[in-house]
Amino acid sequence: MSAAIETPSHQTSGTPSAAAVDVTVVVPVQSGDAEVREVVNALGGELDRAGRSWEMLFVFDGVTGQAFADVAELREKFSGRVRSISFKNPFGESVCLSAAVEEARGRYLITSPQYVQVDPAELEPMLEALDRGADFVTPWRSPRVDPWLNQVQSAMFNFIIRQIIRMNFHDLNCYFRAIRRDVLDDVAVYGDMYRFLPVIAYRQGYRVEELKVRHLKEWGTTGFFGFGIYVRRFLDVLGVMFLTNFTLKPLRFFGTIGGAFSLMGFALCLYLVVLKWTSDVGISGRPLLLLGVLLVVLGVQILGFGLVGEIIIFSQARNLKEYRIERIWDRDDDDPFHDHDPEDRDR
Amino acid sequence: MSLPIQVSIVVPVFNEEESLPVLHAELAQALDSMELGADRSEIIYVNDRSEDKSLEVMLNLRRQDERVRIVHFRRNFGQTAGLAAGFDESRGRMVVTLDGDLQNDPADIPRMVAKLEEGYDVVAGWRKERHDGFILRRLPSIIANRLIGIFTGVRIHDTGCTLKVFRRELVKSMSIYAEQHRFLPVLSAGTGARVTEMVVNHRARRFGKSKYGIGRATRVLLDLLTIKLISQFSQRPLHYFGMISLGALGLALIFGLVGLVSLSDGGLTGFNEWEMAISTILILMMALIAYFGLLGLLGELAVKASGMHRRSTLDRILNELH
Repeated sequence: MSAAIETPSHQTSGTPSAAAVDVTVVVPVQSGDAEVREVVNALGGELDRAGRSWEMLFVFDGVTGQAFADVAELREKFSGRVRSISFKNPFGESVCLSAAVEEARGRYLITSPQYVQVDPAELEPMLEALDRGADFVTPWRSPRVDPWLNQVQSAMFNFIIRQIIRMNFHDLNCYFRAIRRDVLDDVAVYGDMYRFLPVIAYRQGYRVEELKVRHLKEWGTTGFFGFGIYVRRFLDVLGVMFLTNFTLKPLRFFGTIGGAFSLMGFALCLYLVVLKWTSDVGISGRPLLLLGVLLVVLGVQILGFGLVGEIIIFSQARNLKEYRIERIWDRDDDDPFHDHDPEDRDR
Repeated sequence: MSLPIQVSIVVPVFNEEESLPVLHAELAQALDSMELGADRSEIIYVNDRSEDKSLEVMLNLRRQDERVRIVHFRRNFGQTAGLAAGFDESRGRMVVTLDGDLQNDPADIPRMVAKLEEGYDVVAGWRKERHDGFILRRLPSIIANRLIGIFTGVRIHDTGCTLKVFRRELVKSMSIYAEQHRFLPVLSAGTGARVTEMVVNHRARRFGKSKYGIGRATRVLLDLLTIKLISQFSQRPLHYFGMISLGALGLALIFGLVGLVSLSDGGLTGFNEWEMAISTILILMMALIAYFGLLGLLGELAVKASGMHRRSTLDRILNELH
């Protein structure tokens, strides 16, 4: 599978209209039976009603089929307002979004699944939140309409994430999001981190708001997922943990774990030695000895790992900026401030 | 032609609306007493996204005093980030840092600046008489500073005091992150900077509450390892890990000798209990020796790949030039 390693090559169809628009709706298409017509009609209709100019970008993630033909037709119908990007191979939602950001001309981006997941009427409140100064609006499907088993699993996942990041996001699994465009110029999206985009945006200092939305329907697996999905979600959790808590202090993370291991191992060994001295019971045959020594060594190794992490962080420290400046009021009065943001926000 | 700025004062601010006007008056007085013109000094307030009216107060101060510059964060990033931003934005030949809560006394600044002019790179404040709780604040600080002294050989009484004066070159050449501002004197001493300290006035809090808690004993211990590593071995991590490796080797030798002794009277007929235990430990120690050797090599690789080893030589030359 060398194709997956290549940089995503894509072609864009549809003549772009010259002027910038208010809203770009980005729809990553993952399967051929995507309900593209419904999405265009529902969201486009809603945006028309609200009087916002819009364009819609379908990103075909290595997918052809009925949806592709439908979009070709829609391109004709909405000349310039419906466009599409297609990848030769699937690259995942993160890459779809990055490609779309390059093509998008809207001030605001809406990301939408390939079907009408959420009541289109929720669009306007989300955009209004952006108007009010939010940078990122993340939805919370409430109440949900998918099977209860899915809801329970999703709730558990979000609960765990909430505990780790100490932020109050209830539904990171819904991708019907409204984002200011310049946020995505700054926040790097990669790998499975698409799911955690609100978290990353928040970490970078953007204002993230959560809005309750009405859930219409849900595609995808019902019941239990494949085993691989759970493994990946677990790794996601670890990734987020790292991302939010310990990026710059690897030794605190590895050192705490390693120290705990070593202490446990040390306690076990001590217990055995005391046992040997007081009662002259043989200890060499006991697996406990091996376990104790193993824990000590493992703990020390984990700690050493953290030390190398510290070196890497330190040697890269110049490229790390721990803060984001919104605005500087400088001393020269004729140049009262220079903005670090492309757009002036009156705050 | 405007003269270059001599002194930059960096103040990270988080919810200090009450302290700010008082602090600013004192800072202005201190700067005036140094007889620097208004265009030769600056006061940088870094607003760490305060939740109160601090920003308005700062903007007011800026209207009254042309020396004031304000850096406004997108969200709350913490004190270290505030100092880092202040360092990055500062233009002065000397950079003074202090807390926004009035516990540091700006009247100390002229003396510290004079001390720096005597030929030091860092002048650290020492709150000899602290007005904080003993058990929660002072005792942990005393222990931590002792440990740092023992570990790194840089004896500073009070690393936690924010009131410090730095030479510009030092501030611009070191990047600080993740609470490392505390250890800046120690870290810079590792790269050859001349560090001294000076007793400064410390006052009890007048407004608001303290913003730090305790419960960081393990953190301090782990940070110590980091500081030792970074301040003395950042150029040659192999030495650091080599030393740990040697420690493991020493243990392995001791156990090996014990094993030999016990073997000599037990004969080679078979393992008795102690011998089994000893050989287990021996094998695992060997694993550690190899492991730390490899980690050291990995560390060297990280340092070389970043090009940091070359940069630091440059910094040292800069240090000698001024």
